Amino acid sequence: MSRILFGRRLTIAVAVALSAGLVAAMLAPPDRVQGNLQRLMYIHVPAAWLAYLSFAVTLGSSVAWLWRRQMRYDRVAAASAEVGVFFTGLAIALGSIWGKPTWGVWWTWDPRVVTTAVMFFVYLGYLALRRATLDPTARARRSAVFGVVAFVQVPIVHMSVVWWRALHQPPTVLKPGDPSIDHVMLATLLLNVLAFTLLYLLLLRARTRLAAVEEELETAPLGEGQELAGSAVLAPRLERS
Amino acid sequence: MTHALSAAPGPVRQCVELARKDLRLELRAGEALLVTAPFGAVALLLVPLAVGSDTPLLRQVGPGLYWVVVLLFGVLVALRQSAVDDPAQLAVLRLCGVHPAVRLAGRAAANTVLLLAFELLLAPVAVVLYDPDLSGWPWLPLLLPLVAVGLAVLGTLAGALAHGLAGRTTLGSLLVVPVAAPLVVGATQTMDAARYGRQPWAWLLLVLTVDLLVTVALGLAARQLEESA
Repeated sequence: MSRILFGRRLTIAVAVALSAGLVAAMLAPPDRVQGNLQRLMYIHVPAAWLAYLSFAVTLGSSVAWLWRRQMRYDRVAAASAEVGVFFTGLAIALGSIWGKPTWGVWWTWDPRVVTTAVMFFVYLGYLALRRATLDPTARARRSAVFGVVAFVQVPIVHMSVVWWRALHQPPTVLKPGDPSIDHVMLATLLLNVLAFTLLYLLLLRARTRLAAVEEELETAPLGEGQELAGSAVLAPRLERS
Repeated sequence: MTHALSAAPGPVRQCVELARKDLRLELRAGEALLVTAPFGAVALLLVPLAVGSDTPLLRQVGPGLYWVVVLLFGVLVALRQSAVDDPAQLAVLRLCGVHPAVRLAGRAAANTVLLLAFELLLAPVAVVLYDPDLSGWPWLPLLLPLVAVGLAVLGTLAGALAHGLAGRTTLGSLLVVPVAAPLVVGATQTMDAARYGRQPWAWLLLVLTVDLLVTVALGLAARQLEESA
């Protein structure tokens, strides 16, 4: 089962890329002000970018489902949202760990932090909506509509550091002009982004295949002669009857 | 037949009639204004018991608490039980040729009226309990309807998404509240800007933009949501 879900070549590629990313993160020069603490960036930033990518894939798949009405798009949308929620949670947790020594608090009411938390809860709502809807077609339709609406949060999160001046630093790479980051650090960051992207693809593929298996199980007819759950329980017989 | 078709009410009339139907149902049930509004007032009353009765602090946080209560309890108004159409009602509306967007627009219009009434009922309670600085009050006639519209449309969208599901109210609230965060930010910042003598147009524009975006989203998604109802 695990071989069907995870395959082989992509898994190896993910392992190699993550190892290379980890080694590069350890070898990259430390930050002049924050020292080794800054190395958290090599996971924090790729996790945040992958969250954006995941939700963009959910958006694209939702639009594709509304257009084509094929269940595979629904599976991809759901899988990508799940992985996106994981990466968003990871980015928030790492940001909090990074924030404690640098800002002095685990949590701050910084616009980037707050909008990211809002995005996290919006997509938790998306997953809750899916879980609550039992009919597969209704589930696909409703979540596709919400998957489109929910994506509004992503540009808000990205632009929050531009619109409001606060503690979180403004964009250093995804901005017009030369990135304002040391080029060795940038190369290491991009290597980790690549590794996380491969990890995302692996998780997406595994979750999509799992969803297909779940659907097959849901629609499979009950085998003839197969005992139903609870059939061993008999009605009580009264002694006098 | 042609005459009958030509005499059919237009979309605006249909929308108004549907909104009136919703309001009449609410008048009979009294769920929004006789149950949810007092519940919101109780929430405003409980906060000082939890954070302490420091009058200057309460005066400062009062407006913000008011808008948070409007958001959290306003969602319950939008997702009230009397705003649930059963399958037979939906079938009749379909047979009558009512477009899904018109049906949802009627619901949103009724929600707007109820939410505005809800805001107006809670405002004096907040003023009495928290004694906030009211120097920004001239903006309220513009701000209250704008927030009511945004929350009403979002509530309508969430109600349609969670239609017929177990835990509809809880799920709908989870869908609405995070998305409605810009409404709270816009509302509180409008009052703050007015209090400090700044022009709050940018914040009003934010609320208006949210209103327009969610209205467009509701219009575009109406047919899809009708199919899953």
